[in-house]
Amino acid sequence: MQGNEFLDAMILTELEDAVGVENCSRKEIDKVTHSIDYYWLSRMWADRGHRMPEADFVVAPGDAQETSKVLQIANYYKIPVTTWGGGGGTQGGALPVCGGILVDTKRMNRIYDVNTEGMYIECGAGSIYKHIEWAANEVGKATMHYPSSLNCSTVGGFLAHRGIGVVSTKYGKIDDMVLQMEVVLPNGDIIYTSPAPKHAAGPDLNQIFIGSEGTLGIITKAQMRIFDQPEERRFRGFLFQDMSAAFQAARELLQKFKVSVMRLYDPAETASLIKKIVGVEKPGAFMNVAYEGCRELVEVEEKILLDTFAKYGAEDLGSEYGEKWWEEKITFFYPGHMMDIPQMFGTMDTIAPYDKIEEIYWAMKEAIESNFPQARFIAHFSHWYEWGAMVYDRFIVEGEDVPKDPVEALRLHQQIWTVGVRTALAHGGVVNDHHGVGIKLGRLMKEQYGPAMQVFEGLKKSLDPNGIMNPFKLGL
Amino acid sequence: MTEKSKKHVDACRFCWMCRHICPIGNATGLERNTSRARALGLSLVNRGVYKLEDVVDNLYECACCGACTKECVTGYDPVLFTREARLEAAMEGVLPAYINRLVEHCLETGNAYGITELDDGLRKAVAAHVQKTDTLLFLGVDARYKVPAAAVNAIRVLEKAGVDFTVLMEEPASGWQLEYLIGAASETREQMTACAGQLNAYKKIVAFDPQDAVVFKREYRELDVGLTAAAVTFTSFLSDLVQTGALAAENSGKEVVYQDPFQLARDLGETEAARTVINAFAVCREMLLHGRDTMWAGNLLMREWMPEVMEKVAAGRIRDAEGVGADTIVTASVSEYASLKAAKQEKVKIFSLEELVLGQGNES
Repeated sequence: MQGNEFLDAMILTELEDAVGVENCSRKEIDKVTHSIDYYWLSRMWADRGHRMPEADFVVAPGDAQETSKVLQIANYYKIPVTTWGGGGGTQGGALPVCGGILVDTKRMNRIYDVNTEGMYIECGAGSIYKHIEWAANEVGKATMHYPSSLNCSTVGGFLAHRGIGVVSTKYGKIDDMVLQMEVVLPNGDIIYTSPAPKHAAGPDLNQIFIGSEGTLGIITKAQMRIFDQPEERRFRGFLFQDMSAAFQAARELLQKFKVSVMRLYDPAETASLIKKIVGVEKPGAFMNVAYEGCRELVEVEEKILLDTFAKYGAEDLGSEYGEKWWEEKITFFYPGHMMDIPQMFGTMDTIAPYDKIEEIYWAMKEAIESNFPQARFIAHFSHWYEWGAMVYDRFIVEGEDVPKDPVEALRLHQQIWTVGVRTALAHGGVVNDHHGVGIKLGRLMKEQYGPAMQVFEGLKKSLDPNGIMNPFKLGL
Repeated sequence: MTEKSKKHVDACRFCWMCRHICPIGNATGLERNTSRARALGLSLVNRGVYKLEDVVDNLYECACCGACTKECVTGYDPVLFTREARLEAAMEGVLPAYINRLVEHCLETGNAYGITELDDGLRKAVAAHVQKTDTLLFLGVDARYKVPAAAVNAIRVLEKAGVDFTVLMEEPASGWQLEYLIGAASETREQMTACAGQLNAYKKIVAFDPQDAVVFKREYRELDVGLTAAAVTFTSFLSDLVQTGALAAENSGKEVVYQDPFQLARDLGETEAARTVINAFAVCREMLLHGRDTMWAGNLLMREWMPEVMEKVAAGRIRDAEGVGADTIVTASVSEYASLKAAKQEKVKIFSLEELVLGQGNES
């Protein structure tokens, strides 16, 4: 932001008036903690002793009304606005790269209604999802949204980046889990999406704002679905020696019933992460399956599962590994259990129908390993549908292969990403499955959408004519 | 900063996995109220990007309740580096003025509040027990100077059980406040050593305040200040009295939830003693987060510089009780009792363990 001391002081008083003096900060600690998210580049930059771009003002509105006032001020002065939920995003979507106002949503954390009749919880978008889960648990229900970042990410953050949890195959992605949302538009208008998500009253407003990453407005409240706790949840681990057989087995099974968890790890990831966390020692591709619900149905499903997978030569490892995996399902996200600085790494999750997904996996593996021999490639497939699956493929560069110069490290990181995602696109994948786009992948959005991008651009121009909302994100 | 703390700082600086259980972060919703923010700030200090004084305020927005440490499956300890950084700030002379004032009070009067006179009612209650016995009831600074009615109740409970005990009219500072404010500085050690010297005149020390109990049983040992008297928690002492029948109990059948003080539950691993007492007089139900997973409900010391946040912290814990349909919370920490009472809400009643034992109403 190009400001000056006098004007900044004026704007500060207006923001303080909007959200309260105590909820508006220009302190160093507030700026720096909002300048680095889970994006590898921001972490690397800080690790090398550099400061990332920082917001000029950090504000924490308490509700939609206060958010509206902030956006009206921002629009008047034409100040960039970046929305921050938990900061657990990997794509740099929450980074205030142009300075300006950073809106931290976590004061909007009130749980308004735990509605066991309508089977939803209405809450502020700044609520930590784990807290929503606790609220559901207190009345014997569950949110069934269990991503690794459950403990630290917000309802709004998951919605804004189209997040997903580990039981997605049965219960859905975050975009399946929301009923109604309250959204503050860039001009400060407060709007509500339709009272129910399934309707014929025009296009689905929810789906316009879900995944918009703060570029079209700020989600301030949402009604999130809750579910009955399953009477029974069972696990079964399998080992495939042939990845193709695993895909065929999974596809056939999902035509018969929906499992809750289905995760297939390629031999490289089985031999590394799965061996370390779950203890599977044998070579091959490990697949963990969970099925749950009414006891009688689970019994039947187990028989179908075992019969189906046996046809494809899967070795039945019993329930032990699956149960262990469930216990450790978010352990992967703790330091020491996954990649971390000084390693260079990235997760290029993409999704495609079954006729393309395996080809994408092999093509990306080949592209990364041949173009960047210093990179190790591992992958798993963790979200499955009747029609296709998601590949969670990762590259890791270690030791002396990680450039010491931060700009060179940035360049290599960008190059690997570009090659990887372009390969996915060339074989029928998408830019991303559930981490979002942010600043990391914005440049590739036009490559995926081509002229379709004008739909997003039209929405952006109409709703945010001053271009203040999260600039340089989502390719907008 | 030690190499161990630096390692923990670097591990925590990009990790938010304990965000959801931070009582202060939950209360404020502020990003800086995370272990990650504290670690990130300190990591940048270690890298020369910031000075310690740039981030020092943030060090004092932490209760050191250890919920984050307990939550970390890898074993990193944000309390470790927070305390170490406070000590460093003290040694570098960059403590915030509001902390300096409290430290000075601790050194001058033995308590951070700078209070020297006892409440009249408490003075009378103590006067009945100044005669030397084998057992010392150590009241602690919060009870003596901030919630004297609680101190009187502690005395009454032991009287009810027929215990022969001593209370000091001039009680030495245990050092927990200094330890919290500036860590294991030489001043802290001196205060603890002086206290241990006085306590050693007794066979058994019953620490009414869990904050004192922790330093007697942990820090005194770690710092080797020479405490030879046996220190026990007030709750475990009561539990024994109940189980031996010395403390006669009549169960009202009333359902309550128990607020585990983190000092007892996490620091000392004591979760059942208070429940034994409660279940003798009432019926103990549980909040979702209880035992070692307990969520802190605020304290008196931090009210000195962030009173509004303490009210939010307490309100959050009261909501936890409401969430399981409870209408009464029983506390075993005078500081949490005062904090919860200060939230001034009407739906959930706040009782101390002593009030429950003495059959007193919520108005006491």
